[in-house]
Amino acid sequence: MEDAAFSDEFCRFLRAAVPSVDAAELLLLLQRESARWWSAPEAAAELAPAVVLSESDVARYFGIFQASALVAVAPDKRVQYLPGFSALEAHVQTLEQAYRERPVTLIRVIYALRDNSIQSFAAAFKLRKS
Amino acid sequence: MIEFLSGAVAMGFLVAAGFFGRFWRQTADRLFLAFAVAFVLLALNQMLAQWLGAADERIAYTYLLRVLGFVIILGAIVDKNLSQSGKKRDSKKA
Amino acid sequence: MGTLNLLLTLLAVLASLTCTLLLFRAYAGNGVRLLLWSALCFVCLTGNNVLLFFDLAVFPELDLRLYRLCASLAGILFLLYGFLWEAE
Repeated sequence: MEDAAFSDEFCRFLRAAVPSVDAAELLLLLQRESARWWSAPEAAAELAPAVVLSESDVARYFGIFQASALVAVAPDKRVQYLPGFSALEAHVQTLEQAYRERPVTLIRVIYALRDNSIQSFAAAFKLRKS
Repeated sequence: MIEFLSGAVAMGFLVAAGFFGRFWRQTADRLFLAFAVAFVLLALNQMLAQWLGAADERIAYTYLLRVLGFVIILGAIVDKNLSQSGKKRDSKKA
Repeated sequence: MGTLNLLLTLLAVLASLTCTLLLFRAYAGNGVRLLLWSALCFVCLTGNNVLLFFDLAVFPELDLRLYRLCASLAGILFLLYGFLWEAE
C-alpha cells in the first residue's frame, strides 16, 4: 500500500468520520456485516474483548457515522452500513486496507488529525477551508 | 502608573511569545514561530518606548518594531495559505 | 516621514484586523473557546494600533499612551487567559 493512498481526501474523510482507532474498528465491523442492522449494545458486545467501548461511545460513533453519510438509521436507532456515495465506499475500503497493511501509519494519522484547540488556532488562518 | 502598565504589557507579550514558542514545538507549524517572533518584537517595542521616554524624537522609530511584528504575522498568514499541502503529510512514512 | 508613518501603522492595523476577523470567523464556525479569547486579544491590539495611528500620524501630542497601554494590557490578558485555561 503506497503512501499516496493516504491522500488529502482520505485524511479529510478520516478527520470527519473516524475520530479514533476504536471508531475505525466499529466502522469496519459495520462494513463487514453490512447486511445486518446493529444496535449500540450489540456492536459493543461484538467488538469486545478486543475493543472495549461503552454503549454511549458506540452510540456517539453511530451519530458521527450518520453525519458522514456512512450508515442508515432505523426508527429503533439501529444502524446499517450504507455509504451515501461511492467515494465514501472507496474511503472505507482504503481504511480496511490500511488497517490490514499499514496499521501503525493509520493509527498515527488518525490521532495526528484530531484537532485540538491549538491546531484550531492555526487552522483559523486558512483563508479557504479545505 | 504608565511605567507599571508598560512593564506589565511587555512582560505579557514575552509570556505570550513563550506560549507561541511552545505551540510551535508541539505542532511544528511555522505560524506559531512567526507569532512568537512577532510578540517578542511587540515586547521589545514596549520596553524601548518606555526606556526612551515620551519626549524623545527617536521613539517614532521604535514603533517600527511593532509594525515589523505585525508584518511578520501577515507574512505567516500568507505563507500558511500558499503552502497548504505541507504540514501533516509527514505521517505518511512508515 | 509623516506618510511613511501613516502607511506603516495602517499596515499594522490591517494585520491585527485580519487576525481578529479570521479568529472570529473560525470561532463562529467551530466554537473553540481559545479562538474567542484570541479574537478578543486582537480586537484590543487592533484598537491599540488604531490609537497608535492617531498618535503618530495625526496628532503630535502623545497623551493617548495611557489608553494604548490599557488596550494592550486588556488584549494580552485575554490571550494569556485563553492560553492558560483553554489551550490543550
